[in-house]
Amino acid sequence: MPAGLVLICMSSNLYADPCVSKPVAQNSPAAKKNPLLQAILSPTGRAFLALVMVLAVGIIFNGDGAFFKIGTHRDALRQASVYGILACGMTLVIICGGIDLSVGSVLALTAVCCAQMAIQWSWSGWLVVPICLLIGAACGGVSGLITARFSVQPFIATLSMMVLARGLAKYASGGMKVSTAVMNPDGTYRYMDVPPLFRWVDNRIFGGNISMVTLIFLACFALAWVLISKHRWGRYLYAIGGNEEASRLTGVPVVAAKTAAYVLCGMFAGVAGICQAAQEQQGDPEAGVGYELIAIAMVVIGGTSLMGGRGGIALTLLGVLTIGYLDKILSINAIAESGRLMLTGVIIVAAVLTQRRNRT
Amino acid sequence: MTLLLSAVLLLAGCKKSADGAAATKQFVIGMSQCNLGEPWRVQMNADIQAAAAKHPELKVIYKDAQNDTLQQRAQVEEFVSQKVDLLIISPKEAQPLTEPVAKAMDAGIPVLVLDRRLLGDKYTCFIGADNKKIGKAAGQWIVKTLGGKGNVVELMGLQTSTPGQDRHSGFLEGIAGSDIKIVFSADMKWLEPNARNEMESALSRFDKIDLVYAHNDPGAHGAYLAAKAAGREKQMKFVGIDALPQEGVAYVQQGILDTTFQYPTGGAEAIDTALKILHGEKVPPEIILGTRRFDKENVAGGGEELK
Repeated sequence: MPAGLVLICMSSNLYADPCVSKPVAQNSPAAKKNPLLQAILSPTGRAFLALVMVLAVGIIFNGDGAFFKIGTHRDALRQASVYGILACGMTLVIICGGIDLSVGSVLALTAVCCAQMAIQWSWSGWLVVPICLLIGAACGGVSGLITARFSVQPFIATLSMMVLARGLAKYASGGMKVSTAVMNPDGTYRYMDVPPLFRWVDNRIFGGNISMVTLIFLACFALAWVLISKHRWGRYLYAIGGNEEASRLTGVPVVAAKTAAYVLCGMFAGVAGICQAAQEQQGDPEAGVGYELIAIAMVVIGGTSLMGGRGGIALTLLGVLTIGYLDKILSINAIAESGRLMLTGVIIVAAVLTQRRNRT
Repeated sequence: MTLLLSAVLLLAGCKKSADGAAATKQFVIGMSQCNLGEPWRVQMNADIQAAAAKHPELKVIYKDAQNDTLQQRAQVEEFVSQKVDLLIISPKEAQPLTEPVAKAMDAGIPVLVLDRRLLGDKYTCFIGADNKKIGKAAGQWIVKTLGGKGNVVELMGLQTSTPGQDRHSGFLEGIAGSDIKIVFSADMKWLEPNARNEMESALSRFDKIDLVYAHNDPGAHGAYLAAKAAGREKQMKFVGIDALPQEGVAYVQQGILDTTFQYPTGGAEAIDTALKILHGEKVPPEIILGTRRFDKENVAGGGEELK
């Protein structure tokens, strides 16, 4: 994490929150005296604390110096990118008081469709990408409408979509991975080339120092940030998450705004699906199982409230980096699976607890 | 559609009886698959289907328990009340399915158990492969190929699963006594994206890696992609297990993996054994399948058989 970015994040108020007064930390006398302490105790500062802790662990347990290689950081960011893209959409939905459990399955569905179109039918990327985004958006749109228009609890609506999209992915792929090996009618196989779209997405640029998927994640992040912080619609989401009934009475287009959040969340899942397929060079109908929980954890570690109405997209970026680096650090040290799971659980709880302190 | 189908069947039946006394008896085989979510099990059903297609007197009914033990139990009971001539089961777990299978045997239906075992011996024949043997064969091949020494990365299948444990312990047996060093090992839970992530860690930690041994082909493929992105895929060999036609064998053909060891489904052997049983011949209570090794040279000829 470049120091410059840290400073920018610290100085601006990332904790976009129109419903609640400015960071509560200001109330404590110590914070009033010391601007540095105030910055650390602000929600943004506390989200940084978790990341800094994880990075410190990485510096101590550096896997024979592997942690200090630039490639390790590039790989950590690449690995976190697909989750991060999902987390961008998840933030939108969570801020408006919802949840989307279907993103992992929608990712698998778009990955399968993407591989089918790009590899086996050799369609151009200019056609494949919009169709995949549409598929994702359509899935999100359906759960959004069911939630917003018919007032079904988002947990139930998106749980159904999670099962439905997984079924669609298995149906579309025939239960097999859609790969470059295509079966001929006589049972032998012929091999397709890896499509240019996949090569482009799974590429590295700037002298091999950053993965394309990381840039795609940052683009998604920027889009979500603009929508949520600079656009009226973002205010609507906070208002709905804070008090849906009051928002409706004050003229907020609740159904449209909520549905749009789910549509975007689905679309981001579509982007993640393309990235997943490109990195695996295949469409796996079993991909993305459990990814929704990782995305939710990233959002929550950032400090966005699962109750809705509080939080911010920039905080999610911190959550993505925290979990991404934690994964990488555990991996370069070749920690056994049992230890990884326990440590990840402990660190998520610790991060969320730091978030909750001083706030009621 | 159903009407048309039954009409066709009826016609086929008429034709057969018209052929006279020489017409063989029609046998119905029930096949209970624990789940079709894994490509390997899809392949098992495909192998059974291909083998059965050569014997027109066999009719196989497939049921998929969708990874639900109780559903599979119900399916076994359905087959029994349907009075099939033979039951093939690839059970999800041993304990809860042992008794339903025993009841099928009591009802006079011979039972072939594929891949995973049941408790006791109340079944006609078990057909399966030995993961430990395959892991050992992989280890021995690696010792031979690397000339007895080198740095190996091991990407393990789910270590709480028996195949993952056996492919690991067999491998250790295979490399015992050599100077092969496992410099990095991680549990990638059979998943390709995990294998890629773990391989990236191994690559950033170790400058010299001679070979990657992954417990399945998607894992080896994920490792290859990581090494390729780092520009180091030429410095090391990639070894996988399973050798499914559209995965491992395809990767070998494309020059991605150096070799892969087949974990046979036993589908073809099941139909052979079923025919023997149905014709009253004796079969052994246990058939352990051998493995085949595929590399670039022998892949076109169907691989090399290992004892």
